[in-house]
Amino acid sequence: MNQHKKVVIVPCSGIGKTYGTVSREAAYEVIEDLRAEQAQLVALSLLVLGDDDARSAVGQYPAIAIDGCKLACASKMVEESGGHVVQEYAVLDVYRRYRQFKPRGIAELNEGGQKLAHALAEEVAASVDELLAGEGGQDA
Amino acid sequence: MSEYLKYTLDKFTFQVATNRYYNADGVWAKEEDGQVSIGLSDFLQQRSGDIAFADVVEPGTDLGFGDEMASIETIKVDISLPSPVSGTVIEANPAMEMEPEIINEDPYGNGWLAIIEATDWLADQAQLLSPQAYFEHMVAEAEEEAKSL
Repeated sequence: MNQHKKVVIVPCSGIGKTYGTVSREAAYEVIEDLRAEQAQLVALSLLVLGDDDARSAVGQYPAIAIDGCKLACASKMVEESGGHVVQEYAVLDVYRRYRQFKPRGIAELNEGGQKLAHALAEEVAASVDELLAGEGGQDA
Repeated sequence: MSEYLKYTLDKFTFQVATNRYYNADGVWAKEEDGQVSIGLSDFLQQRSGDIAFADVVEPGTDLGFGDEMASIETIKVDISLPSPVSGTVIEANPAMEMEPEIINEDPYGNGWLAIIEATDWLADQAQLLSPQAYFEHMVAEAEEEAKSL
């Protein structure tokens, strides 16, 4: 796969909430293991600060936002930073698809939370593949 | 149209609709022509958090006062909800299957859980709290929780 093609992943930065932790764990798994070459993590806090590199990344590549709650900060900040959210995940909605994985914990997720994060990561990875395939080989 | 008693604690405001009765758990009951709609109080939904799942007993189920009529699951808690009325469930809110967050969005309106054909509403009503009584109960609970944080 062409290494110049990327998808940006922007997870929730909420602190002290289980869904926020699930969103970040899923994002880490995508960018470290599942699609290390195709996906790039952008920190929501850097977008809030107006960091040039972060803004450039979301302006240059399609973005997948993973929101921990209905405030949808990740999605909103991508759009406000000049980017385009092509796929939005809400952890609550993902949990509804995987009710057997009951997440608990904040600093450390329980087994259910880890499984939910993995299931979410797999979905995000599939979205990365679809997005890149849909770009028809254009280099960014 | 509902009117509300309101209580604000820190950044939270809790409303108690004045046109229905409550049990101490925060389940409301609103009677109309022998049929009683059931739902969660604003305080109960706010303290529970975003509702991921709401399971309501099937229509046709006979319930006694205090029997479990629904359960909700949030990231914080799993709660069994006792029926504030005895009778037969004649309708469960279909929205609970796909969008239970409607409880959080509109607890006294579209977020109702079920409608029960009451066996003896007046007898049940006598065991429930008036809006003012529930409001006072809720304030005490909210303040107690705030102290423990």
